[in-house]
Amino acid sequence: MGEKHLFKIYERPELQSSSLVVAWSEDAGKVGPKVVDYLNKKLKGREFAEIDLVDFFPLDGVSVENDVAQFPESRFYWCQGANLVIFRSTPPGSEWYEFLNAVLDIAEHYCKVKELYTIGGMVSPNAHTTPRALLTVANSPEVKRALSQYDFISNMYYETPPGQRPTLSSFLLWAARRRNIAGANLWVPVPFYLVTAEDPRACKKTLEFLDNRFGLSIDFTDLDEETARQNEKIAQARSQLPELDGYIGRLESNLNLTTDESEKLVKEMEEILRKY
Amino acid sequence: MMGIRLYKEPKLNDPVLVACWPGIGNVGIIAVDILQKVVGAEELGYIEPWDFFYPRKVVIRDGELEDLEFPGSKFYFKRTEKKDLMFFIGEEQPVGGGRGYAEGIKAYKMADLVLDVAIEFGCRRIYTSGAAVAPIHHTMRPKVWLVPNSENLIGEMRGYENTVLMSDIEGRGGQGNITGLNGLLLGVAKKRGLEAICVMGEIPLYLQGFPFPYPKASKSVLEVLSAAIGIGIEMEEISDLAERSEREIESLYERLPSQIKEQLDKLRYVTYAKPAEPGPITEEDKKKILEDIDRFFKGEPREG
Repeated sequence: MGEKHLFKIYERPELQSSSLVVAWSEDAGKVGPKVVDYLNKKLKGREFAEIDLVDFFPLDGVSVENDVAQFPESRFYWCQGANLVIFRSTPPGSEWYEFLNAVLDIAEHYCKVKELYTIGGMVSPNAHTTPRALLTVANSPEVKRALSQYDFISNMYYETPPGQRPTLSSFLLWAARRRNIAGANLWVPVPFYLVTAEDPRACKKTLEFLDNRFGLSIDFTDLDEETARQNEKIAQARSQLPELDGYIGRLESNLNLTTDESEKLVKEMEEILRKY
Repeated sequence: MMGIRLYKEPKLNDPVLVACWPGIGNVGIIAVDILQKVVGAEELGYIEPWDFFYPRKVVIRDGELEDLEFPGSKFYFKRTEKKDLMFFIGEEQPVGGGRGYAEGIKAYKMADLVLDVAIEFGCRRIYTSGAAVAPIHHTMRPKVWLVPNSENLIGEMRGYENTVLMSDIEGRGGQGNITGLNGLLLGVAKKRGLEAICVMGEIPLYLQGFPFPYPKASKSVLEVLSAAIGIGIEMEEISDLAERSEREIESLYERLPSQIKEQLDKLRYVTYAKPAEPGPITEEDKKKILEDIDRFFKGEPREG
């Protein structure tokens, strides 16, 4: 299968030694998609390429989420002044290695990408009032050293537990290393009861790093306001619902909840934030 | 060879290849795994996994991606005085989109790669192995169903002890299907002019959906493979495994409701004798047994 069948290029971006930021549409707290949508909006990203869906997605119907029919997408954007490429995609359903190589082909051959970052949320047992941290996994000692100047947790030890599979971001990071492209996975913990909602605080933590790394000078006032509104909403709910307040209070005191209590908190928070 | 990595290039004399991927009850894979270990086969190489599989494990050490592990697809070889042997053991069948068994272009590509290596080393005969779901009782010695890819092999197949051909099985008329790569490899071998035989150990139909292996059938497979390749195999390990598994199944069996056990007990009297007489168990009975077993494990009430 030639590359012509795998992707379409609409415009040749004018980029040299650029950086690629990757986000998957399905993510805890919608961190990945929200971060790249935010970057695209602030930096006026222009779509210039897409990966052909037919080879990687079943296309046997549509899924419906939040009352709306969904359809897979795999789109590239470039941000002229920032020397930045953004890839926002639905995780492919098959032919993963071929898909990831198509991403890296576009990045290398059309954008001269020298480094990539994947963005993702990870489920955390902490309360939403806990400060967000940023965890990194580098694909080489050089990348790890280069990132050591930032405020990261960069000493993670992890092995996929039996019965689970590695993330697509790990697969991409590995595929990038095979092609000598420097890269890192950026993970930000999202409180478990915000996983199906949004976590603007987690998004800001990630964006602050990207802002710093690429010298973007982004004004985050709007994101701070969004965080404040969400916090206010949760605070109101806590004042009206003593049981919910108790659950979150225990998490804030580093105490565990039972499975039933956790499920109840998730359900109630979904309801509260849906109205938000 | 594209997609294949070989560590060495041993000179082999007319080797046979025994290939296997996991399937029902892991019947074939257990037999082939034990066989390659017992003969002391050396690792020969592997098929590059990334085009076929999603990785199964990531290893991160001190914030650095150390390794990404994929299911293995490895070749082994062993020179013996009687017969040179090659083995291929796939830890997973290449699948996409959550299907259970390999199918389509990926399966075909993998089968082709396995045969590329076999042909490279002068192999002209292939054995694959799997499970045959049969209306038998777990206390019975499982027979082995043999399916060759050429009529010329039928005579030889009839010479092996404790085996049956599809035509020996009541109501089948010599017809059937072998799902996944253990079957597909037979077809691709035929296309490329190689002899191939699938060796399938019987698993009781009520155990087919259980998430545990059935080494008793693997033992039957191993006995046939041993006779077919003409190499005596020490059966101690597989016998131990089979006995342990039977004890576990028996303990589960004793806990079944008496109505289900009565149905299953009928399977103790299944034979392959011809001409076919009205058997002790009908298709209707088989369906009912599977439904009852399923309900029992889901904790649902039984009909009737």
